[in-house]
Amino acid sequence: MKKGLTVIGLALLVALMGGSLGWTQERIVVGGVAPLTPPGAAESGAEMKIAMEMAVDEIGKLLGKPIKLQVEDTRGLPEEGTAAMNRLADAGAVGVVGEFHSAVAKAEIEVANDRKVPLVISEAWADVITGRQYPYVFRIAPANSLFYTKVANWVKSIGANNVVAIVENTDWGLGIDSVFKAGFAGQKNIKGETISYTSIVAERTVTDFTPQLLTFKAMRPRPDLVMDIFTGTGEYLIVKQAAELGLATTRETAIFPVGTSALYPEYWETVGEYGVFSITKTGYHPLLGVTPAIKEFTTKFEAKTGKTPTFAAMEAYDSIYVLAKAVEMAKSTEPDAVVAALEKIKYNGVLGTIYFSQEREPDYMFHQWPGAKAVIIQYTEKGQKYTDAQLLWPALLKP
Amino acid sequence: MEFFVAQALNGLIIGLLYALIAIGLSLIFSVLKLVNFAHGECYMMGAFVSYYLSTLFGINPILSVFLSMVVVFLIGVTIQYLFLRPIYTGAVERKDEYAILITFGLGIFFQNLANSVFGPWTKKSPDFISGVSAMGSLTVDNNRLIVSAVAIVIMAVLLLVIGKTFIGKALRAVSQDRDAAAIVGINPHRMNLLAFGIGVALAGGAGSLMGPIFLISPMMGILFGIKSFVIIVLGGMGSIKGAIIGSLLLGEIESLGSVFFLDPSRGLAYKNAFGVLLLAIVLLLKPTGLFGERHVRME
Repeated sequence: MKKGLTVIGLALLVALMGGSLGWTQERIVVGGVAPLTPPGAAESGAEMKIAMEMAVDEIGKLLGKPIKLQVEDTRGLPEEGTAAMNRLADAGAVGVVGEFHSAVAKAEIEVANDRKVPLVISEAWADVITGRQYPYVFRIAPANSLFYTKVANWVKSIGANNVVAIVENTDWGLGIDSVFKAGFAGQKNIKGETISYTSIVAERTVTDFTPQLLTFKAMRPRPDLVMDIFTGTGEYLIVKQAAELGLATTRETAIFPVGTSALYPEYWETVGEYGVFSITKTGYHPLLGVTPAIKEFTTKFEAKTGKTPTFAAMEAYDSIYVLAKAVEMAKSTEPDAVVAALEKIKYNGVLGTIYFSQEREPDYMFHQWPGAKAVIIQYTEKGQKYTDAQLLWPALLKP
Repeated sequence: MEFFVAQALNGLIIGLLYALIAIGLSLIFSVLKLVNFAHGECYMMGAFVSYYLSTLFGINPILSVFLSMVVVFLIGVTIQYLFLRPIYTGAVERKDEYAILITFGLGIFFQNLANSVFGPWTKKSPDFISGVSAMGSLTVDNNRLIVSAVAIVIMAVLLLVIGKTFIGKALRAVSQDRDAAAIVGINPHRMNLLAFGIGVALAGGAGSLMGPIFLISPMMGILFGIKSFVIIVLGGMGSIKGAIIGSLLLGEIESLGSVFFLDPSRGLAYKNAFGVLLLAIVLLLKPTGLFGERHVRME
């Protein structure tokens, strides 16, 4: 009996050791970073993780070896991003993809650069992320300046002359605020009226925006547009409180929540009817054309989750494929070889043909995908899916 | 003037909401002589209990507030019995440190538990009464009006219980001197249990009242926990009256301070700092807070 137990114990030990050795020797680790818990934007993080897993399952092997996807939760906190990147570097990740929050991405690019880990940022928009021009950092999401300069032009085109904003004090929020300040300074709208832009910066933890919304409501003339430059709960609360005060959406004043949170079902659960006629942005909308790649991805994603994916999921999915293709092109997991391959890559992904610019002017264009799109939409019914919302500005697609 | 009145009214409503959370913390401190660092999480639990009672079982939102207070009361009593009672039975050597660590630990535990059980997504409890009410040219969300009224009623009942009933006298007696209270036949352990249960139930009630206004998520209690701590230090540790006045002051200073700040574009960025600034000024002028007493250590 005793002998039998010893044999079983030894067999288990060998199996475990063999398994663990095999695990480190035979698998290629691909890293993922995303906010999976608050205070990060967990809705986005969750769908990004699912999209990454889908891509890895489909690719299966890299350089003939199975892939191990290791997704780290960064919680929307820069210090967690730094720790996550270090853990992935320690795990020998061939590269890392993902991230949603610019402040976190800003911390992660420092580790990527120091530890020579190729990093493909999926969905963080602050200019500085590629603006630092680190050789190991690439980005699929649009840079703030690339998109919000166009939003400023759209505002001029609709004849708005009094624009107000509540801005979260993060790299993303302050970056958009800077683009608007530059875009509106001394500018006239389509009617020839000088545009006034007033922004108020707020802590991400603020829950009561009433004092500032009352300030906006007291303005004469009334604001034409309230820009809600927040993510997560704050983004929902601004829409809700602006409506409760009778500020927006009204006949005089529209509201534009710019964060991705407005694309999820939680938006309607939290703001209800106040979300009708709100304006938002998305990196994908069916009216732009449903390519076979988009159709295939959307069908698979919906079958797996029962939810419509947003562009954040598509970017995360494409990021995994881009990194995998670069490794195959490099025929190596050596970081510099992977970076060289990423610089040459042309990959037909869900969101289009992805490649990375080598331009260094403006600074944020370095290793940036110039083809990243974003469009402006408006909800017309309560509970509407973003894919059914009215497209306001397809002209943004023009280069 | 109208603008000022609107801001002041908003500050008053917010102050009443803060008061409901802070008086619970103050009650706990006055009797148990410890700061419950899991108070914000009790606020969060109340919000989730009320949310699920209303959405899963279709219970009236106002009724679900009171039911959630009962649930959080029972959770509080259990916590007090299992984790805090040893402080008063002599089983713990370093009482202050133990109280801080255990309540902090429980706070983190409840955050993570809520994250796993309820998910990280933001939710909104059903409205008490949807829509807004016009007060002259001002419009106020009906939920805020309801919550303010309920907060006033709950606070009035609490003050009445503490001031006029035998239980209230017993709580006050234990708060003033545990040994003397025990000599006259009051069981301090039972009063600890009751004070902690009522204190966290008030936080839970506040959370469920706030659900339709500020939305709910597992991390919603962190900021309100900190604010209620600022309030009870401001009002004077252990003083219920101080907690109420401190809450109203904080509500007003946050509302008015953020719009009349020197640089209005940054006012909201410093909103949470106004309370701390007020606290620093009050403590410099009156080190025990507005209505505080010197005797605050555990025995």
